[in-house]
Amino acid sequence: MICLPNNAAQRRYLRRFLVTMLFYVPCIVLAVWVFVHRNPTGILAYALAVLPALPIIGMLAVFGLYLAEEKDDFQRSTFVQAMLWSTGATLAATTTWGFLENFVHVPHLELFLVFPLYCFFWGISVPLVMLRYK
Amino acid sequence: MKNRLRVLRAEREWSQADLAQRLEVSRQSVNAIETGKFDPSLPLAFKLARLFETTIEAIFSDESESEVYDQTQRNDKPA
Repeated sequence: MICLPNNAAQRRYLRRFLVTMLFYVPCIVLAVWVFVHRNPTGILAYALAVLPALPIIGMLAVFGLYLAEEKDDFQRSTFVQAMLWSTGATLAATTTWGFLENFVHVPHLELFLVFPLYCFFWGISVPLVMLRYK
Repeated sequence: MKNRLRVLRAEREWSQADLAQRLEVSRQSVNAIETGKFDPSLPLAFKLARLFETTIEAIFSDESESEVYDQTQRNDKPA
């Protein structure tokens, strides 16, 4: 992830990233509160259940917009490399965990945790990718 | 890819940050290109050539190609 923005595309990326995060918090709080206190049913239940996923989907769009807007080839390349490493690591980890769940007794991995796991792997990937260019 | 960026930059007494500012890229980009760890895109290579008032070939050289050239030169030398 980009910590210190170097250019306009990175500043826009950070701003959009923070906006989606700011939306995520009230969405998750609202969904949990309504399900705990109001026990919604029907369409409303589906809509509320999907609500916290929308900012996460928005975050994926923010990644895509950054890649489209970044003019610095090197920055774009390191971003893509980190993205690929974290995608690979997330797929490997969740697939392995899925088989473990099927055949032996391990705790169930909730699917909503896949994106935070992806972000965790991204956080590890960025410094590792940058090591290549030291 | 081998390049003469460091030399060209030193001739003008520019730091990596100075060059990065002129190219509108990050200092890390200049460093990665200069150390041969990252090959610039064609538009950036043209930008560099224009900035240093030279040709792309005068800045960058394909390592394998120059090795082949050196080998040819050695073979052509009379014994």
